Amino acid sequence: MKIGLEIHVQLPTKSKMFCSCPTTDAPAPNTHVCPTCLGMPGSRPVLNRKVLEYGIMLAKMLGCKVADTAWFSRKTYFYPDMSKSVQITQYDNPIGEGGVYMLNGKKPIRITRIHVEEDPGKTKRVGDLSSLVDYNRSGIPLAEIVTEPDLSTPAEAREFLGQLIADIRHVIDLPGDGERSIRCDCNISVGKERCEVKNVTGLKNVERALTFEYIRQSKILKAGGKIERETRRFDEERGVTISVRKKEFEADYGYIDEPDLGIYHIKAMADAIKIRESPQQMAARMVSEYGIDQKMAKQLIATSVSVAELFERVARETDVQNAVKWVAGPVSAHWKSLQEGDDASDDIVAAVRRFAAGEITDAECGMQIKCRLTGEDAEAAAAGSADLEALIEQVIAENPGVVADYAKNDKAINKVIGSVMRQSGGKYSSAEVVGAAKRILESKMQRTVQHLAHALGASHFDRIAPGAVKRERKGPEPLLSLTRSRIRRTRRCPGPRRGR
Amino acid sequence: MNYLPKLKQINDKYRMFHAMTPDTESDAKFLFSAKDNLTSIDMETCAGSRILGGYRPAFDATAIAKLRDAGGKLIGKTNMDEFGFGTFSTNSGWEIPRNPHDLERACGGSSGGSACAASALEGHVSLGVSTGGSICCPASFCGVYGIAPTYGRVSRYGLIDYGNSLDKIGVLSSDARDLRRYMDVIKGKDPKDPTSCVQPDGWGEASLKSVAVPKEGIEGLSKDVESAFRKFADEMVRMGVDVDYVDMPSLKYAMPAYYVLATSEASTNLARYVGMRYGQQEGDLSLKFDDYFSSFRSKYFGDEAKRRILLGTFTRMAGYSDRYYAKARQVRNVVINDYKRVLADHDAVLAPTMPFTAPRFDEISKMSALDSYKADYLTVPANLAGTPHMSLPCGYDPNGMPVGMQFVADHWNEGVLFDIAERWQSEFELKRPEVSV
Amino acid sequence: MDRATVERVARAAHITLTEEELERYSRDLEEILTYFELLDDAPENAERGINPIEIADVLRDDEPRMDIDPDVLLRDMNTYEGYVRGPRLS
Repeated sequence: MKIGLEIHVQLPTKSKMFCSCPTTDAPAPNTHVCPTCLGMPGSRPVLNRKVLEYGIMLAKMLGCKVADTAWFSRKTYFYPDMSKSVQITQYDNPIGEGGVYMLNGKKPIRITRIHVEEDPGKTKRVGDLSSLVDYNRSGIPLAEIVTEPDLSTPAEAREFLGQLIADIRHVIDLPGDGERSIRCDCNISVGKERCEVKNVTGLKNVERALTFEYIRQSKILKAGGKIERETRRFDEERGVTISVRKKEFEADYGYIDEPDLGIYHIKAMADAIKIRESPQQMAARMVSEYGIDQKMAKQLIATSVSVAELFERVARETDVQNAVKWVAGPVSAHWKSLQEGDDASDDIVAAVRRFAAGEITDAECGMQIKCRLTGEDAEAAAAGSADLEALIEQVIAENPGVVADYAKNDKAINKVIGSVMRQSGGKYSSAEVVGAAKRILESKMQRTVQHLAHALGASHFDRIAPGAVKRERKGPEPLLSLTRSRIRRTRRCPGPRRGR
Repeated sequence: MNYLPKLKQINDKYRMFHAMTPDTESDAKFLFSAKDNLTSIDMETCAGSRILGGYRPAFDATAIAKLRDAGGKLIGKTNMDEFGFGTFSTNSGWEIPRNPHDLERACGGSSGGSACAASALEGHVSLGVSTGGSICCPASFCGVYGIAPTYGRVSRYGLIDYGNSLDKIGVLSSDARDLRRYMDVIKGKDPKDPTSCVQPDGWGEASLKSVAVPKEGIEGLSKDVESAFRKFADEMVRMGVDVDYVDMPSLKYAMPAYYVLATSEASTNLARYVGMRYGQQEGDLSLKFDDYFSSFRSKYFGDEAKRRILLGTFTRMAGYSDRYYAKARQVRNVVINDYKRVLADHDAVLAPTMPFTAPRFDEISKMSALDSYKADYLTVPANLAGTPHMSLPCGYDPNGMPVGMQFVADHWNEGVLFDIAERWQSEFELKRPEVSV
Repeated sequence: MDRATVERVARAAHITLTEEELERYSRDLEEILTYFELLDDAPENAERGINPIEIADVLRDDEPRMDIDPDVLLRDMNTYEGYVRGPRLS
């Protein structure tokens, strides 16, 4: 099965592509319109600079070669929502061509091209008798991204779209509902001939439509039938695709150049545009640069790209172990409490540096970070927390086997938490207790492991954590990023891969 | 100058206006008219087409707005071939203007009503639009001065498109000095039309000293036009202008290349007229959209509009576009280069504007579509190349019908055209038609 | 141009032709296209040009603005509750 997608993304400009009408939600139909987007005789298009800039950013994100010179074409087709019966689009010199985009950091999906074009208006059916048209959407800029048929399953297509949208959102500040405004034309072939399912909205529907098509085409082929090349549409309610027209009745668009706009030398513009690293690229880089696992990298970025950036800064200024311990720990846990616009990174880096230099204790550092992020009073918190930690230490001391139990199974922590909660009588929130208990148990456990490693030498250590050592051979910042989960995994699946 | 009180009677006789002012007096600095494909907020604008019947634009074309700002009063919108599709203004969906020198003859096209107004109304200036010769042809037939400037010199905002890479707005008048006077007003960069935004400030060279006459431009002329040309060339020499004869082999390809580009673009421009949003909208909405659209287009487009839509749809269609549309685009470059080559050594290219004088309506009705396309072979090359060109009246044939000569200058070099028009006017006695109502 | 091609072109252009028109346009277009064969012999020129002069890099800033009241634009349109009325979609 081969799947290729044509993805339409609305670009987040303030004004439309070829006229100055606002792109914000309109109070009523046909209120954000002007002679240009209504296609009135005598009107003329003037291109919005931002559309080219966004187009170039996406082309770069997708690894496309950005054209030196771009221009526009007229695609002629008749439909009530297309006010000029002509769509201004790009035909033979799109903004970008020939890109590759990595799915999950490992599977390359080839990008045929990316171009920009204008959106038509919206139609509404009135029974089966006539239609009503709202041209507020007419002229909103779109980027169309066309992939090669490199996707293998409907689920993969959905995964690809999800990742792509996250990356696009990050690179061009797409608003939160960007996912809903994504429209796809899905090309799928199970046998030799392909069908196109036009205008599917949203990730879930893309997967549903493709799955339906896969089954439909497979059944026909199994019964010895032939797939006809055609255009279909997806009925969201019934979850089926319906034939719209056969290949031979495809509209003849008769593309010609758009002479009202001229040409655009976009090379200089493209050279000046630096795009932000997409979340996907950032995750992949963090895995290889810091030796952390994919899951942690994704979690950091999912919390906030700023947290991921803080992780990198802490790793640079202290080491990866501290970055994992503090940024993936308390910083991530409390990040949401941070006031918008407040940049706490300097303070957090300073706290971790003091800890790394041995100037403050583990507990003090954790407290400083938490207070900085949540705005709690540091002294009161310190007093309260010291009491809490003392209580936890006491509980652990009363249950000597608990650290070893915890190393085997993290559910062991519940014993400590339950006991502390009971004894403190609801003085601390469960989140506080869980956080502190976890931190103390982790640190005790690591000391045990390190002690063991030190005592037994590297070969024994290898037996304990083969993954970590393997990474050590590749990267500069190795085994200290050892985490509990890895130790546990190692113990559960001992040896068979060892020595490879 | 005050023809306003008699305007209705004049129009009944010559039919130059599609819409006109009801006012009988005015204290405006000057009165002007505009071809009906330029939008005006106060007058219906139909571009000569029935399908636009009732279109009241919400905005003025930039050229009209600029003339109003300069103190002008728009007195009428002039009749024209539907969307500019014609050489005689006989393809109008509304009225066909009559030649003021002989009511049985055509004004030329497609800015026929504008040339008619410029010829019949004293002290009047009219805006015309040229795609393939639509200013110079009627100027020649009606015996007035007419200029089509460099492509992009005048904003096309508010111009109802024929061929967007070819359309140019210009001026027609019986007074040569009006060309410079009003071009000065309407030229200039307009943020509403990107193609107007690359022009230089001035008009280029100030005086015309030499012309090149392409051999291809003096072939196929009627006897009267040929002898008028010989006489005019001698006059030029007498006035101190060097006249050289040159070869411009590319000119013979200009006509097919022009018609391919113009109709390809036109067929996309006219796709918007479907019985929705403006103009004619009374139809049966329960028809499927394809049928609804087709019903309007079949009913309201005229014969030549349909022909050009069919031709242009064909020449850009997959499978044919390389042979026609793409090749025509290349030929345009070839023609431009040919002009550049000749204009490197000469200030202008000179040839008659039209191969014959204004024909009678009965003669026109016998011409095939191709015959009338071929009649444009002298005006089309400069239009294809986007080079500025002007027709000036140089004499009259034995029937008293005017003969026009066309000068083509290099891009952005309208200055030499103003210069020769003004110099010629001081030498030439223009015969104004007898206008009696 | 043969009738089948004229029919195909007319369908693409959304023009319904009568029998008489079909006949006449086939003839006219055939004559015109025969003359256009001249283009096949014309010299080639690989330079790409959309306009006869170079129109390059004319852009506007992304600033929303509305100059004309939409009510004025809609005054002559066939509308229903602010929507533009159109024909049946399928």
